[in-house]
Amino acid sequence: MPLFGKKKKENKSPRPQAALSQKKITPQKETTSQKETTYFGKNLKIKGRVSGNGNVIILGALDGEFNLKGRVKIAQPAKIKGEVKADVISVNGNVRGSLVARERVHLDQTARIEGQINTPNLSITEGASFDGEITMSGRSPQASKPADANAAPAFQNTAKSTPK
Amino acid sequence: MGKDNTADSTSLLSKNVKIDGEVQGPENLHIEGSVKGSIKLSGDIFVGNTGIVEADLEAKNIVIQGKVAGNVMAHKQLEIHPSGKLIGDCTSASIDIKEGAIFEGRSKMIKSAGLSAGSSAATKVSAPQSSKQHQS
Repeated sequence: MPLFGKKKKENKSPRPQAALSQKKITPQKETTSQKETTYFGKNLKIKGRVSGNGNVIILGALDGEFNLKGRVKIAQPAKIKGEVKADVISVNGNVRGSLVARERVHLDQTARIEGQINTPNLSITEGASFDGEITMSGRSPQASKPADANAAPAFQNTAKSTPK
Repeated sequence: MGKDNTADSTSLLSKNVKIDGEVQGPENLHIEGSVKGSIKLSGDIFVGNTGIVEADLEAKNIVIQGKVAGNVMAHKQLEIHPSGKLIGDCTSASIDIKEGAIFEGRSKMIKSAGLSAGSSAATKVSAPQSSKQHQS
């Protein structure tokens, strides 16, 4: 209840769970700081390519490619179809396609992935669903703890050394 | 954006991010980065100072403070601020161009029920005496 009340006070729009208010900015602000987070709301449908530097939080639908130097947070109720390429990818929505991360991928409880994941580091919260293939051809062997607990068997496809 | 937005929520495209494709939906969009393609929203579009848009825009209200090259359709109002630059045609029910803005193209007013105004006027409007300060 108090949470609801607080949400109401902040802004009128129905906000997604507070879980992702970590990086959230009130989009109404006009401050043009260099590293502001790009925010795609849940009603936004993008068909095409999104690229650039910086962090992105996406709640809407994307049909295409995402090539970012930064962190991507795919939150409920996002539906992504295509390739997502970033440094850190944190998923809490639907993805059909591939996730390629340069640092790590994190699947949250309501993540539904159908496709491939390629990342040096991975963590999956219980409840997530992952149907597909995972490759972890990481950059260096000592790049933090290699998370071996994958959902699907890890086919070491060394032909696919992607780290950019 | 101090005014009331049309749609419930506003998305933000920040400075170093680029969209190449189509964007649509019942949202407002605040553009500080660059867009190429087309944007069709039933909310408002706000192109900030650093926004560079090479796309056709369609929305309820459109405010341009950056650069737009493309055709623009604002169902309610089109505003071009002093730092704004629009190269392309525009169609809107109401138009507000501040001094210092740059606009090159055709303008067509959307007639509301009561008006008996003439047909589309092809006006070529460029910045008045403050000369073409290229606000880059």
